[in-house]
Amino acid sequence: MDRRQFIRKGFIYSALGSLYASTIGKIPLFAAKSHTFSPGRYDLVAVRGGEPVQMYRKAMEEMGGLGLFVKAGQTVTIKPNASWDVPPERAANTNPELVAAIVEDCLALGAARVFVYDHTCDNWQRSYENSGIEAAVRRAGGQMLPANLERYYQEVSIPGAKRLTTAKVHERLLQSDVFINVPILKHHASTTITIAMKNLMGLVWDRRFWHRNDLHQCIADFCLYRKPDLNIVDAYLVMTQNGPRGTSESDLTRMRSLLVSTDILAVDVAGSLMLGHQPEDIGHLRIAGEMSVGTMNLDQLNIQRVNV
Amino acid sequence: MRLQYLKKIRILVSLLFFTAILFMFLGISLPALSQLGELSLRLQLLPSILRFMALFFSISALGFVLVILLTLIFGRIYCSSVCPMGTFQDMVIAISRLFKKKKNRRFHFTKNRKLILRYSVLAATLILWISGSLFLLNLLDPYSNFGKLAVSVFHPAYIAANNALAFTLERFDIFAVAPMSMHSLPWEVMMVSLGVVSVITIMAIWRGRLFCNTLCPAGAILGLFSVSPVFRIAFTPGACTACKKCEWVCKAECLDSNSLKVDHSRCISCFNCFSSCPNQGLHFTTSSTLPARKAQIENSGNKREFLLTLASGLLSFPLLKTQAFAQRSRTQQVDRQQTQLQNRSQAGMIPPGVRKPVTPPGSISHEHFTKHCIACYLCVSKCPTKVITPSFFDYGLEGFMQPKLDFEKSFCNYDCVACTEICPTGAITKQTPEQKRVIKIGVVRFLYESCVVTTDRTDCGACSEHCPSKAVQMVPYEDGLFIPQVTPPLCIGCGACEFACPTQPFKAIYVAGMPVHKTARAPEEADGPREDITDDFPF
Repeated sequence: MDRRQFIRKGFIYSALGSLYASTIGKIPLFAAKSHTFSPGRYDLVAVRGGEPVQMYRKAMEEMGGLGLFVKAGQTVTIKPNASWDVPPERAANTNPELVAAIVEDCLALGAARVFVYDHTCDNWQRSYENSGIEAAVRRAGGQMLPANLERYYQEVSIPGAKRLTTAKVHERLLQSDVFINVPILKHHASTTITIAMKNLMGLVWDRRFWHRNDLHQCIADFCLYRKPDLNIVDAYLVMTQNGPRGTSESDLTRMRSLLVSTDILAVDVAGSLMLGHQPEDIGHLRIAGEMSVGTMNLDQLNIQRVNV
Repeated sequence: MRLQYLKKIRILVSLLFFTAILFMFLGISLPALSQLGELSLRLQLLPSILRFMALFFSISALGFVLVILLTLIFGRIYCSSVCPMGTFQDMVIAISRLFKKKKNRRFHFTKNRKLILRYSVLAATLILWISGSLFLLNLLDPYSNFGKLAVSVFHPAYIAANNALAFTLERFDIFAVAPMSMHSLPWEVMMVSLGVVSVITIMAIWRGRLFCNTLCPAGAILGLFSVSPVFRIAFTPGACTACKKCEWVCKAECLDSNSLKVDHSRCISCFNCFSSCPNQGLHFTTSSTLPARKAQIENSGNKREFLLTLASGLLSFPLLKTQAFAQRSRTQQVDRQQTQLQNRSQAGMIPPGVRKPVTPPGSISHEHFTKHCIACYLCVSKCPTKVITPSFFDYGLEGFMQPKLDFEKSFCNYDCVACTEICPTGAITKQTPEQKRVIKIGVVRFLYESCVVTTDRTDCGACSEHCPSKAVQMVPYEDGLFIPQVTPPLCIGCGACEFACPTQPFKAIYVAGMPVHKTARAPEEADGPREDITDDFPF
């Protein structure tokens, strides 16, 4: 029995097991699936060839549905990239329709509250407005929260971290049962790439500390605080140069893709390959791999590739 | 029309103008009121004159002509209706009356002995102005002082109230009210602003509109035009019983019921006298009666005094000019130093003394800005990123307390033109976002020795990340690291790099102000997104 077969069988058994568990109430078989615990059907789903929302729906269908991650009555934090005061067509921020679709689905699953926020780089009100994300979230019934004042942040300690041992984190993250990370795939001047791990920087108050104290190490460190339950990477319009803000639409390539994974490192590895970088060359990916934040070697994972 | 109603109309109009201007400072925008606010900014006397000079006779700067015409016809209606500081004083007077004994509430006619003070102050203000410094104007102008009061007291109070509401609602997961960040003014600026406002307040409590008839340059100018307005208040000799009731309510202390004379140059047209008179002993007149002529003669004597003061003041003009030259040569010296430092930067700190302040986009040059800015701080309160901050002596005496961009606090938003749209004096000229994106207000300097990449040998790139024009880019350095590289022709001086730079206490990258704003190289014309040519995932 090779590894794939093992995983496939493991999955079937675990599906049967969960069926069993749902009637009897025990979940004994999940641990057999892969070394990172994932409630999804695959470790990574990669979709290409469609529109952002269409690809998202397809990916979640493959994954087994958002219902595996979000339960009725839960509080959900969705963290898009809404950091820049630029319009959606410049793709410096996550696609607003994609964010709205996730909000809608969470609410449809009975989530009690869906919070969306980002500690922006540009002026927060202008960024929220011009990214189109605030309006889209409101329309979908979610709550777009301010993150511009220090009073919203609470100090947490990060066990196992090397440089970023404490950080001030947005209080609503502490109140959330489910945490969905929705970055956009981009080139980045400081860190070469910005995908799921780098996107978490928008959850903390003091970003300067990261820049001052080995940025790559801090990015990896923060993943030890709380890994997102799900990472949904918008790779429809991808900034391949002049990131993270971009100067014009000529910085973009229309990749028409979307990645979904429970493994924050794996999804970043996949994204860095899409941008043409070897994961080992990217400091925070290499460090995260060494710190076992997730899976560096995609061959170890159960990946579903879909062309819609 | 019954003359008693004039007071009520005046109060209504003044409150409308006051609220409209106050709301502009608080950033509250209501449809009709915002338009009234803009109109009322155009009507502010000295801002309008400055605007006339700044914008080369633009039509939008003719508010002062309207005000002067109005004054020639009706007297200083401006001082009681349009001037927000006038209305503020009226409020102070009204409130202080509540705490005064009945007898002390009364005003009394005073002989106008303060004319020397009044015109000396005006002369000094004008002379300084001509010699290139708005020092006294910015210190004394009523609109400027109202602005400082609004920004240092009313705006923080409004933010506190807004945030109290926002934070209360947030507890119930209602996020309809956006919280605002509190920004306090530099303490020196706060002290001077509140100091002058306190003086005005104390004068108002003590003697009504004393400030308006002694220190206020707008009051002094309008006083010259209102010596004998076409329609003016006059006693009705038969009806007036010299009961002094009108004198007791005259905030300008300009009614003399004994000799039945009115000093129109001090009258601020509050119309309190009409309402107070039990006998209709006051009326509007157009004929030049004997008392009025007498007043004119008296005033012409004062005019002579004024001319004398003006002349003696002008003698000091050459002295000030010399100072101005000294200042200029100092600036040139600083220029030279800065050029030298381009090549030889000191490790660990931004070179002291060579940093010129950065003026807002659209302000053309330091000279244009300092010559026209009345330091009302409307731009300070409007700026969404709060990068515009009052300076103290950064521009020297010429630009005392005028605003600058403080990149320690924040940076200028690439697409924002808020400050250019509201400046009442034309110190900041109007710009479209397209124009603004290439206005070079400063230029980037990189201090290699202080950069995190050099000192700690770790990646950073915060500067390049924030740079909207890619004047700062990360280029390969040793050991796979990336280090900033600056392209000054692309830099617009927005300060994003300096703000983001994490090195403490001295930034490794900073923006030096351009004494004359230039045009940055525009980003190249861009095509749309490229199509992806691959047909599968690379993993």
